[in-house]
Amino acid sequence: MPEDRTADSTTRSATDRRTLLKSVGAAGVAGLSGLAGCAGGGGGGTVRYGVLTPDTGTYSSLAEGQRQGARMAIRDVNESDEYDFEIERFDGDTEAGDEVAQSEAERLIRQNDIDYMIGAISSSVALSLNEVADSQEIVYNPGGAAIPITGGACNEYVFRCETNTAMIAEACAEWTIENLGSDVFFHIANYAYGESVLREWRSRMEASDAEFNEVDQTGAEFGAENFDPFISQIANSDADVAVIGATGGDLVRFLSQAASQNLQDEVDIMTTTGSFLSVRRGIGEAGYGVYSGTRYVPSVDTGDNQDFVGRYRNQYDSEPDNFARVAYDSVRMTANGIREAGTADPEEVKDTLAGLSQSPTLFGDNAFRSCDHQATNPVWVGRNVEPEGDTAAADVELVDRVAGSDAIPSCSDVDCDLG
Amino acid sequence: MVVEALVDQLLNGLTIGVVYVLLAAGLSIVFGVMDVINFAHGELYALGAYFAFSVTTAAGDPNAFWVALLLAPAAVAVVGVGVERLTIRPLYGRNPLYHILLTFGLVLILKDVVEFVWGPGNKSYPVTPGVLQGQVAVAGFDFPRYSLFVIAVGSLMAAGTWYALNDTRVGLVVRAGAQDREMVRHLGIEVDRYYTLVFAFGAALAGLAGVVLAGRNGLEVAMGDSVIIPAFVIVVLGGLGSFRGAVVGGLVVGVVQTLTRSGVVAEVFAPVPVVGELAALLPALEGLVVFGLMIAVLLFRPRGLFGNPEWQSSEGEGDLLVGGGGALGSVWRRRLALGAVALLIVAPFGVGLAYDGFVVYSLLVSILVWALFAVSLDLVMGYAGLVSLGHVLFYGVGAYGTVLAADGRVTDLVAAVPAVGSPLAAGLGALGYADSLPLALLTGVAAAAAVAWVVGYLSIRVAGVYFAMITLGFAELFRQVVVKLPASWAGSTDGLYGAELSYSVAGVSLGEVGDVVLVEGVAAGPVVLAREVRLLYFVVLAGVLGGYLLARRVIEAPFGGVLTAIRESEARAQFLGYNVVAHKRRVFVLSGALAALAGGLQAVTGLVVGVGPSLLHWINSGEVIVMAVLGGMGTLYGPILGAAVFRGGQELLSTYTGQWRALLGLVFVLFVVFLPRGIVSLPGELQRRLRERGGDPPTGAPAETPAEPKLEGDD
Amino acid sequence: MSADDASGTGAGTDRESDAVLATEALTKRFGELTAVDGVDLRVERGEFRSVIGPNGAGKTTLFDLITGAQRPTSGSVRFDGEDVTALAPHERVRRGLGRSFQITTVFSGLTVRENVRLAAQSVHDASISRVDRFLRPKGSFEAIAADTTATLKRVELADRTEERAGALAYGDRRRLEIGLVLATDPAVVLLDEPTAGMSAEETAATMQLIDEVLADRTLVLIEHDVDLVLEVSDRITVLDRGRVLTTGSPEAVADDGDVQRAYLGGDRG
Repeated sequence: MPEDRTADSTTRSATDRRTLLKSVGAAGVAGLSGLAGCAGGGGGGTVRYGVLTPDTGTYSSLAEGQRQGARMAIRDVNESDEYDFEIERFDGDTEAGDEVAQSEAERLIRQNDIDYMIGAISSSVALSLNEVADSQEIVYNPGGAAIPITGGACNEYVFRCETNTAMIAEACAEWTIENLGSDVFFHIANYAYGESVLREWRSRMEASDAEFNEVDQTGAEFGAENFDPFISQIANSDADVAVIGATGGDLVRFLSQAASQNLQDEVDIMTTTGSFLSVRRGIGEAGYGVYSGTRYVPSVDTGDNQDFVGRYRNQYDSEPDNFARVAYDSVRMTANGIREAGTADPEEVKDTLAGLSQSPTLFGDNAFRSCDHQATNPVWVGRNVEPEGDTAAADVELVDRVAGSDAIPSCSDVDCDLG
Repeated sequence: MVVEALVDQLLNGLTIGVVYVLLAAGLSIVFGVMDVINFAHGELYALGAYFAFSVTTAAGDPNAFWVALLLAPAAVAVVGVGVERLTIRPLYGRNPLYHILLTFGLVLILKDVVEFVWGPGNKSYPVTPGVLQGQVAVAGFDFPRYSLFVIAVGSLMAAGTWYALNDTRVGLVVRAGAQDREMVRHLGIEVDRYYTLVFAFGAALAGLAGVVLAGRNGLEVAMGDSVIIPAFVIVVLGGLGSFRGAVVGGLVVGVVQTLTRSGVVAEVFAPVPVVGELAALLPALEGLVVFGLMIAVLLFRPRGLFGNPEWQSSEGEGDLLVGGGGALGSVWRRRLALGAVALLIVAPFGVGLAYDGFVVYSLLVSILVWALFAVSLDLVMGYAGLVSLGHVLFYGVGAYGTVLAADGRVTDLVAAVPAVGSPLAAGLGALGYADSLPLALLTGVAAAAAVAWVVGYLSIRVAGVYFAMITLGFAELFRQVVVKLPASWAGSTDGLYGAELSYSVAGVSLGEVGDVVLVEGVAAGPVVLAREVRLLYFVVLAGVLGGYLLARRVIEAPFGGVLTAIRESEARAQFLGYNVVAHKRRVFVLSGALAALAGGLQAVTGLVVGVGPSLLHWINSGEVIVMAVLGGMGTLYGPILGAAVFRGGQELLSTYTGQWRALLGLVFVLFVVFLPRGIVSLPGELQRRLRERGGDPPTGAPAETPAEPKLEGDD
Repeated sequence: MSADDASGTGAGTDRESDAVLATEALTKRFGELTAVDGVDLRVERGEFRSVIGPNGAGKTTLFDLITGAQRPTSGSVRFDGEDVTALAPHERVRRGLGRSFQITTVFSGLTVRENVRLAAQSVHDASISRVDRFLRPKGSFEAIAADTTATLKRVELADRTEERAGALAYGDRRRLEIGLVLATDPAVVLLDEPTAGMSAEETAATMQLIDEVLADRTLVLIEHDVDLVLEVSDRITVLDRGRVLTTGSPEAVADDGDVQRAYLGGDRG
């Protein structure tokens, strides 16, 4: 029976807030009695999962993989006998804006009563959803690679399957000076991402036993059109290798212009996202020969990846990209946590999920480690090469592989302590 | 070594500069001849690239690029003809603001069309002719062939345009038309036909720029966005309407941008003391340099480097059409307003009953925040006649100021001031500063008021379109600074999220923002009276209503009377003894403060307190102008309606189609063309149409005396 | 309110001090063209002065220089003994230098009353407190309202106060324009072709209105129509190609051979 309750201007604890917020959202008039005990839910029931992807705007080309990966995972979970619950999916479009993302998250929380959410690609959107997850007690799988997501801005509700920028640096910085040359030229996009690449790579190269000499460092503004000055500067320097800390359109434009100046005749080019399908498609043949710290390509033979790739191909008639991989494993690993916890209550699932060893994943054995909830993904060094088939995008040839346990910075080096 | 680098960089600068020239020349000629500020120019540029992409992809032969080089600009020209005939033609003679609005709508439409036809994602031409690849040695230096090709194409086109303007009959008419349109018309020349031609030509230049630049940069849907602002900067720098200005501006910006970016200047000056150290700072400033250049030029030459001081005097600009609700009496208007406020007050009590919390706490809050933002803009645009294209600056300063205060960074900053810093910080601590919602909002408002004073002081001396551009420049400058500063300052691209705020001052607290619920789950027997009523909503409502009432009060005071006079006739107001510039500056500060309040409220609402850099995008400045005009500017309540219709329409359309932006764009275009006085003029317009159909005497008949005071201009 | 009392004091004193408005070697160049060329103008208190000249003689530019709408290339403007050359237009208005426009510029979107009220407010502006200026309803200032009503009566628009100025007939709009000038309580009024484009009857009516309501002020009238100014002026200054051709009584000017040549022989209109 409904209780008559009034609370004038009272401060309420966070747990109460969530209960209230959500029960009021979807339950509506029908769920009169829902005010009291609606958390819990759990085993055998329905898990409400929000999928927040940037379907329109700057990152729209990357959203497709993320969306499809998440959908496929949800379908797999629902069709499998191993899980005694169903996932109900709710979609939202974050566009490329932080305010829109906030508003979409609020919609899914208030209207659809979600307990779990996945998505976002840009770091500011992911970081804002980090805070939403914490304040609303929702388990969240972010899609961004920015270090603070499981670093300075981490919290107990955030579980990241994406390989972060520090892991790429940890795996590839030393490899670069050992294999491509000791004279390094850094060029970055001047914003948080580029700066973190510079910081992480430089510190690891300095710490390495191998010989390292920083020739110079330049930066272009975020979204710059013209990279010629930097390319000329790199070409005119004594560098063996140029490390490019840029992504998306910034990287595509840099590499296109570098190719027209034949920069690769002078130096090797090492990138952090050059293996992304979107980047390979964007630059075409101009990208051949470029190295990259690689998070994922469909050809990797780890875990049940080949099975995943085959089914993904059948389903969507395209190759899964890194965002599809992340979304698929995010949902599946979280579903495993729900199964282990025996309840859909995020409060309990988050505790179960931390440190839970999972197998199989697309990368074999994996886990969101306890101290920062970062998945322990392997990293490859890849090189873009001319494709065999008649496709626009280069193939990625895997040159080297670094195991997840070696790629991830130790817990003591991470600005996050969740226990 | 240094010489080689310098030559390299100069060539690079020229390459990009030439592309800028192509873009800016089209923009500038179109403005010079037709007074049209074409925001969709960047989309025409993108279209050129995408057409070329289709041609080269379909042909699969490297030499198809040459065909594309001709076909794509021609196709863009055809699009240009359609755009001019269908949308721009009905607007000739109106204030250039309406072209900004119209072409803003066109941007939304064209961008969605490109995404729909070609799909999202980065693309590049499959192959380019071998002759354009690799390097070629000239005078001992290696030059990329493609760069030389771009420079050659650009120079050829610029020279051709120069010839066409100066030595052909068409050029003569075009130039004469730019100086004095009426005179040309009196000569019996059909100017309109030339307008179509000029617009198509400008479009083709943009398309050509797209074709050649995409060969270097590749293609993406947003490619138009990234060139339109630099192109405008160049046009303003060179002087609107001046072809010479576009050429010089384009090359200067290309070279200056390139040189500041590269370390070569630092290298050259390194041996010189002081100068060398200063030069070393240049690369850190790139991105700011272009906007700084524009602002500096406008301050010293308010019409750009080559702007014609005689031409585009203020009487040449059409009026800003203010809205008015002729059909509803003031009594009825008051009743409606009170009814709306009453509905807004009870809205949260319906949460969970008739609708969910999202509708009230997200959608309605967003409408209210945008409404206040639009009202703040209306103060300067609708009353003082200042079209600010950079109002997102104040919105952003308000949001960032609020969050930085909440984050404790303002306190840290204060504490860092030598001598007085620590006692001041201690005082702030005693006030509970870093935790207090009212004080945080106040910080944002105060910061924005100060910024508005400075920007107003510098900008208000330039007139009309130049004012729009200089404010856009300041807003972009701020965005660049936020993004470029290290993340520890203002979050850079990561944004600032997760600060905690309370309803508190000096230790007296009502609780944390987001936590305080006034009423929850009240039920009388089986009837639920209220489910969730949150204090934050009323804070927003009070802030927005308060802001609106303040604005209205000021408009109805002697100060506001003078503003209205300035809008009606600046010269007359001056010769009644009013200091026009001082009044504009003051209202600009007030407007900035209100915009900042809106920004601050935006930052503290939502599920968490925070702000990210996308809030500072110039598109937000465009949207708020659209809202004000959509509703009816110069009325204060019109912009509120506009915000509601805009946000509501967005919400509604986006549930039905992914192409909602194109639909929204279409709505704007229709509004700008057919109902420029906005929604508030709709009842009056309908009444007028009905009367005309009824065969009554035309409304212009002097016999008809309005029954009530009418303040709107509907003739 | 009245400037009459000042006119009598000229008797025993130096003529210099009696000139309420004076220009010295006032010059304005636009590139090659010299629009106003070393003009020395002395207008005495209470005088009705007309400035005539063919089109392009520099009449309107001269007005612009006197009122501050344009800055002179060289020379100076003195008003009431003070050098006002560097002052902005609104500051000159505040000191008592009023102006009407050749093309009627009233605030056409506002009511007739609001038009005049704005002019009246200007006179009281300095005495309005800061808070009142921004927050008190503009209609609630009694002194302003009284001045507004008085002016409306004097220009015979008291029965049309709530009409939109833009909807007024041409003649009424002209009256309003003069009302705007009157309400700012100027000591000197510069009238720029107040009867341009009017029929003979309208012209007569307007001149009569000026005579009625502005008789107690010092008036400077720009006019194209020579016959009109001969009747009403105390003295006439003839301008040609930016220079002062002559200044004198209507009779003297009418007989001047140079003036006839400028009008008959040198019309470049």
